[in-house]
Amino acid sequence: MKKKLVIFCVLFQLVIVSLFSQPYSTISGQIKAASTGEDLIGAVVSVNEFPNLSVATNAYGFFSLSLPPGSYNLTAQYTGYKSQNISVNLDKSLNLNFFLLEQPRELEEVVVYSKRRDENISSTNMGLSKLDPAELRNIPILFGERDLLKTIQLLPGIMPVGEGRSGFNVRGGGSDQNLILLDEATVYNASHLMGFFSVFNSDAIKDMSVYKGNEPAEYGGRLSSVLDLKMNDGNYKKLGVSGGIGLISSRLLVEGPIVKDKGSFIISARRTYADLFLKASRDTSLNKAALYFYDLNAKANYRIDAKNRIYLSGYFGKDVLGFGNTFGINWGNSTATLRWNHLYSDRLFSNSSLIFSDYNYKINLNSGVKMNIISRIQDYSMKQDFQYFGDNNNTIKFGFNEIYHQIIPGVITAITNVSLKSLTNKSALEHALYFSQLLKFSENISAEYGTRLSLFNLMGPGSFYSYDAAGAITSTAQYSSGKFVKSYFNLEPRLSVNYTLDSESSIKTSYARNVQNLHLLSNSTSGNPTDLWIPSSNNVRPELADQISTGYYHNFMENLYEFSAELYYKKLQNQIDYKNGAELNFNENAESQILFGDGRAYGLELYLKKKQGRFNGWLSYTLARTERKFDGINRGAYYPAKQDRTHDISIVGLYDLSKRWSLSATWIYYTGNAVTFPSGKYMLDGKTMFYYKDRNANRMPAYHRLDLGATWIRKKTAKFESSWTFSLYNAYGHDNPYSITFQDNKNDPTKTEAIQTTLFKFVPSFTYNFKF
Amino acid sequence: MRNWNTILLILVALFALNSCKKVIHLDLNTASPQLFIEGNIYDHPGPFSVKLYYSVNFDQSNIYPPAVGAIVSISDNVGNSEQLTERSPGVFYTLPWRGVSGRTYSLNVKVGDKTYSASSTMPASTSIGSIYFQRSLFGNDIFTGIDFSDNGNSSNYYRLVYFVNNVQQPDIHVTDNRLSQNNTISYLIRPSDTDPKLVMGDRVAIRLEAIDKGVYEYLRTAGHLGGQSASPANPISNINNGALGYFNASATRTLSAIVPK
Repeated sequence: MKKKLVIFCVLFQLVIVSLFSQPYSTISGQIKAASTGEDLIGAVVSVNEFPNLSVATNAYGFFSLSLPPGSYNLTAQYTGYKSQNISVNLDKSLNLNFFLLEQPRELEEVVVYSKRRDENISSTNMGLSKLDPAELRNIPILFGERDLLKTIQLLPGIMPVGEGRSGFNVRGGGSDQNLILLDEATVYNASHLMGFFSVFNSDAIKDMSVYKGNEPAEYGGRLSSVLDLKMNDGNYKKLGVSGGIGLISSRLLVEGPIVKDKGSFIISARRTYADLFLKASRDTSLNKAALYFYDLNAKANYRIDAKNRIYLSGYFGKDVLGFGNTFGINWGNSTATLRWNHLYSDRLFSNSSLIFSDYNYKINLNSGVKMNIISRIQDYSMKQDFQYFGDNNNTIKFGFNEIYHQIIPGVITAITNVSLKSLTNKSALEHALYFSQLLKFSENISAEYGTRLSLFNLMGPGSFYSYDAAGAITSTAQYSSGKFVKSYFNLEPRLSVNYTLDSESSIKTSYARNVQNLHLLSNSTSGNPTDLWIPSSNNVRPELADQISTGYYHNFMENLYEFSAELYYKKLQNQIDYKNGAELNFNENAESQILFGDGRAYGLELYLKKKQGRFNGWLSYTLARTERKFDGINRGAYYPAKQDRTHDISIVGLYDLSKRWSLSATWIYYTGNAVTFPSGKYMLDGKTMFYYKDRNANRMPAYHRLDLGATWIRKKTAKFESSWTFSLYNAYGHDNPYSITFQDNKNDPTKTEAIQTTLFKFVPSFTYNFKF
Repeated sequence: MRNWNTILLILVALFALNSCKKVIHLDLNTASPQLFIEGNIYDHPGPFSVKLYYSVNFDQSNIYPPAVGAIVSISDNVGNSEQLTERSPGVFYTLPWRGVSGRTYSLNVKVGDKTYSASSTMPASTSIGSIYFQRSLFGNDIFTGIDFSDNGNSSNYYRLVYFVNNVQQPDIHVTDNRLSQNNTISYLIRPSDTDPKLVMGDRVAIRLEAIDKGVYEYLRTAGHLGGQSASPANPISNINNGALGYFNASATRTLSAIVPK
């Protein structure tokens, strides 16, 4: 491994040296919103004298552009903003900031310049979806609470795990195979209230990108996808307050400058109050129930000088569920990120981050047994990223990441004399080193290649067991604190090539390997807050995914319409399933309950989007198959994974009726999940039992639903703005199955029947939003 | 923690006041009849029975054809052996002997040209300390629970059979001492919605069976019911050759109580 590192470093040095010797001057700076001072991510600077030359701002709004000395006209553009032109006389490197004015809301079919209007054609990124939270304002959603995680499920290749859920499957991956990052911090459980709300308050989010397995080398750690969310920085110009009051939740946001134009802060909070309805109940047991969540996002940043800037951001959320004093559970995430942006030169951008992430749950039992259970997973992480802007055909990214994971599966404090034993804590180190280079070989061909080296160490102290096929312990090894129990080294190459056919179309192809060393044990249909994360170990090997994909991208009518077709094939190794009747809850030997196998997933994703105009929206269709292969299941043959869905269609339409009214509608259809239904029945001690043949040989009925939404802007002045949003979920009241269960007929016990439970039909909601 | 799904459903019901259930028709796969074997031996006087019958398809009536004319025998590890007598179709009886803790019993069943066998070791008996009653979180129902002392340092497994007014309730209740070895184990019976609601004056009885690991694994996996599990499957039987069911040698103690006001 050392040898590889050396070669890697040498190669890297060569590239750097060759890049520093350029006769060009550099223009670098930031692109910001004029009204708030907020950095704009992915905004584009183009040079009028070189029509093919443009660069986009990075995650911190920074850009760098190198040109021979001379006079130039530069244009900065960003969706929803007026473009800005600046003329420069370049004789030495200079710093230049753009401040873009917001585009007023127009009803005419005006051309609003987007990021780079044909970014989807020209970039090497594949399997990437970006959503601007502001664009989603009008999409109708369950309970009227805007939800980023539910909106991305309307995109091709991303499917909900179930009705109303914020959990999602990307290209056949499990919901634990998504890396969810909030300002670089891992969010382990991204849902509130058992999955009906996501933890992300969309007011607090500036930018969201989803990589469907083809992520660049700076990302790693999960097999299927990376969901990268960036929080708003806050208003640099003036103090602002906005919020919303809804049927079951309310939210409030305060933002403003710390020092005008130099630093800003933002705090946003949300709380649901579903339990207030319970309090009103006359049922004495119901009105003692607690049921709510709250979350808080906060961020501050300060520009020390033109070369240094620091950011501090954090998230804290909690769910509380309890019944009087007999039972209580609360769970939640907290994250904190401290970042330092530094410009070593006008071409070398650096970001250093210290990151903390925590997910925990606490259970309080006070009936029969009296005890408390605490479980948590904690990450302490350090990340260093460099971005080097070479000449304009060459950008290099490199860096490293160190994470210390601590997993406390369950600590019990018993009040009664029950001697429940706490589970052994686990700790692990995860190291990664990455390098990637984006190269433009010619007008038509560009490529981004790179690799990520990852090393995972499971550490003592503790007893580590080996198991036989039946799950019995065969040997025990003791490790002292800090000793490595097991290490896994992996090389994760990434490559993406773009061949541009003409100004309106391109073909891309890519390959990526991803490695996952943390695994979520969950054998319920829904996913529970108490599901347990386990590290790779002597029994559990890292999960591996190799994905190849190819796609055709075409824009037409002056980039008004965007079309893409992507094909992917993914091979999966060391996938996890569970033995029949696996006991995963509070089991010291949970690793003995696991089966290991392979998987494959392939599919076609079609996407057509109308980007602007009074009427806009998109169509998305996915044709896919996801299969698993395990020795002990279905005689070792490939069988459909639970999340295998053949067809998945989403249609989203948004229409601006007038200056005050806008309307929206979404329609969703997908094939039902693969499930195991009974093939026969028998009697055990008076109880009807079901006989099962093959795993996942049956299908839930197909799911479909129409949602309608409307937004009415009541008042809009420079000082005050207010609006109402209305939505109707499942507008034609289709009986979508949430679950199907089998039982004896209550009136005729000689018969059995299948019972379908439907959760949501015609769910109306409304929210009042304000801003001043 | 197995009650998560109950909590989830309650939660969901609170949210979606319009959630609804309906009976649907599904075209389910069929399966050839599968042999089911159920045999119990206790540490009290016999005779004991072994039942043999076949499974049916889901849409058929709950009438299960007996496996008539099988040859069934039981032996133990101290040299006793007996062939059982079929007194009614598919039900085979022993002579009136008594099971002994510590002995391993073997069951042998021959149906046609296929042979099935199983063995089970009878653990030492465990007495029930007390029966208690508790109000439910929802609906003010009365739940029954028991306390008993785990008797040792080995892994112990228990089954609770629940009777209301002398009628056995069909739900499966098992527990082990994994988390409370050599200590008091408390078990609260959560009735299913088909169980009768308790009222003052009802007589409840609980039979605590000390069972071996194989029987525990069978009953535990059978009790999962498959409804909310992501991958329902057949219980892990202690009978070989693909038969459904179990063979159980267990030491039992019973305690009863009257539901107070």
